[in-house]
Amino acid sequence: MRGPQDLGGLPAGPVDPVVHEHDPTHWEKRIDAMMMLLFDPKRRLARVDESRRMQEALGEDYHKYPYYERWLQAISWLMLEKGVFSQEELDEKQREVRARLEAERSGT
Amino acid sequence: MSDHHHDLVHATHTHDGKPIQNDDRPPIEAETLETAVRELLMEKGVISADEVRQAIEMMDSRGTDLGAKIVARAWVDDDFKQRLLSEGDAAVREFGVDMRPTELCVVENTAEVHNMVVCTLCSCYPRAILGIPPAWYKRRDYRARAVREPRSILAEFGTAIPEQKQVRVHDSNADLRYLVLPQRPAGTDDWSEEQLAALVSRDSMIGVADIRSPGE
Repeated sequence: MRGPQDLGGLPAGPVDPVVHEHDPTHWEKRIDAMMMLLFDPKRRLARVDESRRMQEALGEDYHKYPYYERWLQAISWLMLEKGVFSQEELDEKQREVRARLEAERSGT
Repeated sequence: MSDHHHDLVHATHTHDGKPIQNDDRPPIEAETLETAVRELLMEKGVISADEVRQAIEMMDSRGTDLGAKIVARAWVDDDFKQRLLSEGDAAVREFGVDMRPTELCVVENTAEVHNMVVCTLCSCYPRAILGIPPAWYKRRDYRARAVREPRSILAEFGTAIPEQKQVRVHDSNADLRYLVLPQRPAGTDDWSEEQLAALVSRDSMIGVADIRSPGE
């Protein structure tokens, strides 16, 4: 069975080497940096195939997620699976961060 | 990559013209998750803020330059070139590049063969040499079509490969990364290694472009 990631040979649109360039934003680099740190020999908390397993588990949503949001989801699920933090801790932290970011974005 | 980030309004300006925001911000849900995960990892002692900063600095420092130096060395030093083609990992270690845990396979463009690299399954790329892959490399369009109609893709990059020349497409994976050794352009026989390196583009090392002869 072809998974959502298995794109080789499927019909698709044109590639525009000018328009389809994009310098990663700082936010994207932070996600990239997290993944690289989790991969590194000091931590060994993730491997490329594990990251892919999580991204591919998105199923059809795979294509709805922007690239680095897929990575982010993979990191988050992997850390939950490995017990680095719990779902409760993540929920609580997200509530706190969300309130902080909302205030920051509205300029208060 | 989806374009939805690009719909956001970018830098807005205060009345005195100074940007108050100079970076694209993701949707708040995504920024919330990223910040939460990063802060939890720091609180748990898994990563530190300084390590994140250093990792970003490292990725910013990698780009075309390192790959270009490797290619230029291969053009002027045949022993190095043979090492690069037979045992890529060991050869690039001479440039301080550690490919581990992946392997590097360098493929040489010749008068008969043009090589091109893709990762149909994700976005595997020789990041230790070339940095973060370009956005198009990660797009569905490139990943899907490169293995079926490479010449059409090459044409979209403005690269025309003569019919009689073979096009070989290499599909990267989690354990194996490819780098194209482009053909040394004609008219550069008396060029120095540094001059040659300046000619080498990122896209030529992915194999979607050739290197033009100087003056062409």
